[in-house]
Amino acid sequence: MLRIPETVLREIYDHTESSYPNECCGLMIGTMQGDLREVHTFRKCRNLNTERAHDRYEMDPLDMLKTTREFENSPWDIIGIYHSHPDHPSRPSQTDTDRAWPNYSYVIISVRKGTVASANSWLLNESERKFYEEPLVIEGEARK
Amino acid sequence: MSVTVKIPSPLRPLAGGQAEVKVEGATVGEVLRKLDAQHKGFADRLLDGQAVKRFINVYVNEDNIRDKRELDTEVKSGDTVSILPSIAGGNSGSDVSGTAGARYV
Repeated sequence: MLRIPETVLREIYDHTESSYPNECCGLMIGTMQGDLREVHTFRKCRNLNTERAHDRYEMDPLDMLKTTREFENSPWDIIGIYHSHPDHPSRPSQTDTDRAWPNYSYVIISVRKGTVASANSWLLNESERKFYEEPLVIEGEARK
Repeated sequence: MSVTVKIPSPLRPLAGGQAEVKVEGATVGEVLRKLDAQHKGFADRLLDGQAVKRFINVYVNEDNIRDKRELDTEVKSGDTVSILPSIAGGNSGSDVSGTAGARYV
């Protein structure tokens, strides 16, 4: 299960909508205890794939290095990656699966005509080379 | 000379869950091979012959070794060698037949 504060998710959604029609990406920072993953905050990252930014992303490794360094002496760590699928469903593509790593939560956000339509979180089963969905729990949503 | 190797979450099972390991070596290549000697499996995940695998980035402090001398990049005592998975993907090749998932309210 991936738990994420509604305020954090809203900011991530803002990133995906302002990047539309291109894909965007970022890192989710938080804690992992067994199957429970809790997002504390996030960092936007640059998409280095400028030629096919509408349907591909390549995270700038320097952003990942900086984020790793920023949180290395904190209780938090990089626990996952988010990226957007402009005008496509919030499920992994073959490209996503081919390039995925285990132990990270992959949150995919579908943005349709510039507005977030859905979001789902996925975990890679490395031996099967296949994604499985994990529950995405939005904290604070019930209070709305 | 001892350097600190930072290990990303996906590769920590190879190091018994550790986020960093102290390793001896004069070059990045030596460091990564000694890391593999201490924790079997790293060479398979990181190295492709005499090069770092395509979907792995290795930094010495703030420098990508691809901008230096690759595995021959020298390290000195106290340096930090960061192993970073290359993160990429995108909806190219999407299976568009599925449902779009839970709607945000």
